[in-house]
Amino acid sequence: MPTDLVGAPMTDTPYWNPRHETMPREQLEALQVRRLRALVEWADARVPWQSKRLRDAGVTADSIKTLEDLRRIPLLSRDEWMGAQLESPPFGAILAAPEEAAIRYHMTSGTTGRTPIRVLDSLKDWEWIAEMWCYGFWGFGVRPRDRVFIAFGYATFIGFWGAHYACEKMGCLVLPGGAMTTDVRVRTIVEMGATVVCSTPTYALRMAQEARSLGIDLASSSVERLILSGEPAGSIPATKKLIEEQWGAKAADTAGMTELGTIMVFECSEQPGGTHIIEDHYIEEVVDPDTDEPVPYGEMGERVVTSFGRGFIPVLRYRTRDYVVKVPANTCSCGRTFDIYDGGIRGRVDDMKLVRGTNVYPRAVEAIVREFPEIDEFQIHLYTAEGIRDEIEVLVEIPGSDEEADADRIVNDLSRSLAQAHEGLRFGVRRAESGSLPRFELKAKRLLDERIVIGTEGERRQA
Amino acid sequence: MQNAMGDELNDAQAELVKAYRTIEDVLRNRAEELAPYEARNATKALAALWQVMNGLDMEPGQLYELGA
Repeated sequence: MPTDLVGAPMTDTPYWNPRHETMPREQLEALQVRRLRALVEWADARVPWQSKRLRDAGVTADSIKTLEDLRRIPLLSRDEWMGAQLESPPFGAILAAPEEAAIRYHMTSGTTGRTPIRVLDSLKDWEWIAEMWCYGFWGFGVRPRDRVFIAFGYATFIGFWGAHYACEKMGCLVLPGGAMTTDVRVRTIVEMGATVVCSTPTYALRMAQEARSLGIDLASSSVERLILSGEPAGSIPATKKLIEEQWGAKAADTAGMTELGTIMVFECSEQPGGTHIIEDHYIEEVVDPDTDEPVPYGEMGERVVTSFGRGFIPVLRYRTRDYVVKVPANTCSCGRTFDIYDGGIRGRVDDMKLVRGTNVYPRAVEAIVREFPEIDEFQIHLYTAEGIRDEIEVLVEIPGSDEEADADRIVNDLSRSLAQAHEGLRFGVRRAESGSLPRFELKAKRLLDERIVIGTEGERRQA
Repeated sequence: MQNAMGDELNDAQAELVKAYRTIEDVLRNRAEELAPYEARNATKALAALWQVMNGLDMEPGQLYELGA
């Protein structure tokens, strides 16, 4: 017979690990040094490929005295990781434990069309992967009483697997949303009384769109929170505002990587406009992508991550190609001492497109498009006109517009806003038929580059 | 009981550390006395308690040789 909630009573705290999350910076950095030393020792002893890289740079565990010593460790690129994998497939000489110790295989989502990175994890690693998600869920106010719907395909892409286990660990009721059509997902969320929904930002909007077509008002459903991941859009203010309005719920951004197995940043319930770095489990550096020199607080640079958690694949100074702006923890009022990526992940170093001398970032375009709530879906299209000239156009679906004049006004206003934000660059904005543009469940790919000559500044090549 | 950072653990935390060490010791030294269900469930518990040890800064090391 159902009674009150069962389970051991716990301290009521906004923090998953109160001691670490509020640790004075000096102590936190001392903890990071200890953990870095242990990580270097482990990698040196167990991964000959890593050991050689460390030894060639003169780095041993004993030589790690301060966080400054981190910079003596060589940066690791995706190409190097991939090279090791290709040399010794399927996983490469990167494993610190025998394959038999693993319980699960995953790989990167492969949206870039490249060979995926393949990873293995053990029981302990999976507990840790879930642990990182717990920081995020708990920090955004999710509690054991919640019902969490996870809109995710549950396959070899690691995605929200860790979120699923985190919610089980926290004692939530998990509603797994794999192998469902969007309408079934929406109906399940409503019928099962989900209070939390996990998805990519794009898919949160897609579900809201589906709900409208089904005549379901999500804002009056029991959903109170959305946990977003998989795309930078979770921290684009206009996109986030749209999601929150359409769901009538608060939305939090998180970000993770297959290379780490889990998330490394999360947005707390104070919603400071950025994501806290889980600094008791990671060291996150921000460097100039060209010089590799560290950049100060408040300046944009490339994320470089060192992870203490996943012992199966030690990750030391991995350059992520993500653009971020780090700001001090005290810019948030939540009491955590973990620094923040203001605006979350700002984009990818290799995402930038050069169009007639102007830098165009897909995230910046999305931020402007999302200021027009009438636009349901969009696509950025780059092409070569008359065989010589780069052109950029944005295709938009405006389904709710009954009056042609309204749609024309939106198209003209959007075109003007995009040009104003891009040094006057002319954007062609064109209406697309409703439902004609691609929809995405995982990482959205809204940029289509069909130029005959493509690339970024200094890296132009024949297609 | 103190952690690696020199902080004192409270009694409840210290009990969890003891539980972890007990399970680890059994799995390292007496696994052959355990049925499969005993060994694997204990290993799963150890993997979960490792997170507690790590969070308490007890520097628990790695467990791959125990199948965790």
